[in-house]
Amino acid sequence: MQEVKVLGVGLHAFGKTGDAVVGNKPVTELCRKAVVDALKDAGVQWKDIQAVSAASSRFSGGKGWGLNGNDIVEEMGSTGIPVYNLSAGCAAGGNAFNIGYTLVASGQYDMVLVMGGEVMPKGFIQTSGVEEVTDPEFLRQRCVGMPGPSFWSLLARRRMHEYGTTEEQFAQVAVKARKCSVHNPYARFQKAITVEDVLASPYVSNPLRLFEICPVSNGAAATVICSAERAKQFSGNAVTVASSTVATMTFDDGLPRGLAAPPPADATLHSEAKLAVTKAFDQAGIGPEDLSLTELQDNTVYYELAFPEEWGICKPGEAESLVAAGETTPTGKMPINPSGGFVSFGEATTAMGVFQVCEMAWQLRGESGGRQVPNAKVALSQTLGLGGNATAVILKK
Amino acid sequence: MERVPAVEGLFTEEGGAKLLGSKCATCGTVYFPKSASCHSPKCDESKIGDFGFGGKGTLWSYSIQDFPPPPPHKFDKPYEIYALGVVDFPAGVRVMGQMSIDNLEDLKVGSEVELVIEPLYHEDDKEFTSWKFKQL
Repeated sequence: MQEVKVLGVGLHAFGKTGDAVVGNKPVTELCRKAVVDALKDAGVQWKDIQAVSAASSRFSGGKGWGLNGNDIVEEMGSTGIPVYNLSAGCAAGGNAFNIGYTLVASGQYDMVLVMGGEVMPKGFIQTSGVEEVTDPEFLRQRCVGMPGPSFWSLLARRRMHEYGTTEEQFAQVAVKARKCSVHNPYARFQKAITVEDVLASPYVSNPLRLFEICPVSNGAAATVICSAERAKQFSGNAVTVASSTVATMTFDDGLPRGLAAPPPADATLHSEAKLAVTKAFDQAGIGPEDLSLTELQDNTVYYELAFPEEWGICKPGEAESLVAAGETTPTGKMPINPSGGFVSFGEATTAMGVFQVCEMAWQLRGESGGRQVPNAKVALSQTLGLGGNATAVILKK
Repeated sequence: MERVPAVEGLFTEEGGAKLLGSKCATCGTVYFPKSASCHSPKCDESKIGDFGFGGKGTLWSYSIQDFPPPPPHKFDKPYEIYALGVVDFPAGVRVMGQMSIDNLEDLKVGSEVELVIEPLYHEDDKEFTSWKFKQL
């Protein structure tokens, strides 16, 4: 295995169809901007890219929207390079990074582009539209009626029961997210908000409110990764990939993803995420105590409380008090989502795992401006996708 | 009005409300909906048989669907806010479903609930039913 470096990163700012940022740009245009920025940041030409690993929603369950990596290669110039289209729901960006990483680490290629981008349909994310009774997601939506936010709010309600979490404490997490995104020109929401603002926003699924969940967004992200040997030829901006992992959920997971699951006494609720993160720590020889910052998948503020506890970054039941004390801000002891996270960006599904890599690279290079984690040396990112998919990446200086 | 299941083969009302699942005779794992084989990586031999279950369970958590959900869910207009629950049944399975409750304020994690079959929506002069959990 050869060491892998993140040589360059690029984003297209996130927005909503029709707004001043993304307008009605097609996904190819959003991705072109992210790819061109990543190439420029890396100091390489398109013709230097030997393979593309693309997070693709086009092929997941027949959804009528989504990125196809081949379209971007055609857009940039058909050089005949291989394109790997990876689908894993919201974890697809992380999966694409892992395959790109593996292609370079194995020595197959020494310079690969990893990318994701979306123009999302409006409203709640819907299933494929195919009414197939063997599809657990169809059964869950037809017979029960449980869009994403209601699934998340089951978890939030359970946490309120177990730890006495209050609606004010959930709101504090959203306030913290916006405190970061004020300093992020790529975020869809860049305005600071107060606890009162959050509590005045309508419930989407009680107890979770509009400002506490991520909407769908349009956006794109790209990164050029290469071998450590190859990176020597370029400017000293490259950061090291300490590990990149993928996992799926385990049988004893206590959170039903379809209609039912075996009820465990005390099993984890997000086994795929915990497994991916634990493997990332093991493979990197890095522990939770070594992290300068974490970029985790906060589809809702609940995850920012639950995930750090599940991965041993803090103790169970401790997250609320750490948030209240400001310890999850960029200058705190346990910085979480200094980018502003999904709650500030909205979710452009396949872009997210790559977007996290971009933010981690900027943080480790000390280029994050007002949201900079001082002296950042090690960063962890994680995604979680429909179907029991999860990924993790650890980057180090 | 004809009363038909929203999806066939998932539940029955004959002899009391029951969900139609499977159970592995080797390891005791319960599945809903039915499974053709046992998926437990710890199970030595898949021995799957039909297994109906229902009765009382415990509400693990719940949520409120404050906005009309997208298709393929179907509901009667005008939309009425409903609650969703996750229930642990003594049969050894945790199940998702809609709650049957008059006052959403009364919902409480840890409360006892009972499996019922109730109308979900009406279409083409038919009443389409699904399983729900009634808080006791």
